Amino acid sequence: MKYDVVVVGSGPAGSVTARFAAESGANVLIIERRQEVGVPVLCGEGISKKVDDFKVLEGRRWIANNMEGARIFSPDGAMVKLAADMAGDETGYVLYRDIFDQELARGAIRAGAELMLNTCAVDVLKENGKVNGVKAKQFGEEFDIEADIIVGADGVESKIGRWAGMKTTLKPYDLETCVQYTLSNVEFDKEYCDFYLGKKIAPGGYVWVFPKGKDIANVGIGILASLSEPGMPLKLLDKFIDSHPELKKGEPLRFLAGAVPVAEPIESVRDNLLLVGDAARQVDPITGGGLMASIEAGEIAGETIGKAVGEQRFDKKMLSPYEEKLENTVYKKLKRNYVVKEIVLGMEDKTLNMLADSLKDYKFDELSTLSLVKALVLKHPSLLIKLKPLMKLSKM
Amino acid sequence: MGKPKALVDKGKCLACGGCISVCPQDAITMCSSKAIVSKENCIDCGICIQTCPVGAISNEVY
Repeated sequence: MKYDVVVVGSGPAGSVTARFAAESGANVLIIERRQEVGVPVLCGEGISKKVDDFKVLEGRRWIANNMEGARIFSPDGAMVKLAADMAGDETGYVLYRDIFDQELARGAIRAGAELMLNTCAVDVLKENGKVNGVKAKQFGEEFDIEADIIVGADGVESKIGRWAGMKTTLKPYDLETCVQYTLSNVEFDKEYCDFYLGKKIAPGGYVWVFPKGKDIANVGIGILASLSEPGMPLKLLDKFIDSHPELKKGEPLRFLAGAVPVAEPIESVRDNLLLVGDAARQVDPITGGGLMASIEAGEIAGETIGKAVGEQRFDKKMLSPYEEKLENTVYKKLKRNYVVKEIVLGMEDKTLNMLADSLKDYKFDELSTLSLVKALVLKHPSLLIKLKPLMKLSKM
Repeated sequence: MGKPKALVDKGKCLACGGCISVCPQDAITMCSSKAIVSKENCIDCGICIQTCPVGAISNEVY
């Protein structure tokens, strides 16, 4: 079995990479461990409307709810509202992530990619020190898939990079450990995605309530693994729900556990090999959102692969434009937000309360973490000293 | 007496992969939607135990 490209993982990063590689003429195979693309869902299912700019999705079936904005609640309950009337149309959607993933995979297949389900990568193949395929397993049988380029789109627990000798192990300081219920029969404002902060609520993370419809919402929690204890996310989420009567009467339709890298992006290119998505830690370290970065990186990865296949050159130098383009775009934001993450982690609850209080009536010009940071600096110029490392990374 | 090693309770594991991503020994793999620890490679650092969101991992003396 021989392909130009084998993509391990059919999440958004894998499917978008496969799509753009196939569109530029490469012969692409995607392998997926699970028996259904997008299932089980491991996601809070929130995304920015900027996703529409990428033209990688057909129809609107993947949208569960159209958001008006976001509300952030400080430990003492002060609310900061980032709403559409202040932020233009740049708000967000809550997704049906299973349908979303399947639409992205359909896009890859339409472009000519093949997809094998129930197929797990168990190792990379190597020849003369270079990776030249993956060893795969399907229904108990092992077989080799040769390929000129291997794409590790195998998520937070990525093994492809490790097998190829890359250092992908996350520090507990760089991982959010999460659980989430999809609760039905709940009552709340369906127009807003809510975020709750505080050391007692979610150490080093937050609780989210993302409405999927009139009386149904994803209610989840992420805790920084270095601040967590065994089973703490589940205990604290149950406690949060218990203390909110509007959620307490809900019944769960779905329960899931998840792990989200909140690290800086890592090395993602070797000879014959690319990492993309959570595997490359392409996640916003503040929000834990990785969909937009994955789609953006997937497009660049796919185009880079297309060129490499066209020229029949697969060395690191040929593939490096992928990383270089990311450095100038997606990674600028991710690196900036990593610095902000560290600053926020160092803040006491009372500081968060004070900051939230000062932003109560602030009119945001955009719904983004950057506009939040800008607003904070405007209100509290002394924060600039803490934000100094940011100046090196980008012009604010 | 043997050394303690991490052990996954298959009844509790929800296959989020968090333990795998933080294991410094690459001792954990996902098998049929459950995390499995390789006793040979585990050094009982306890990072996976602390990371598990549902408390599915403990250390056992073999």
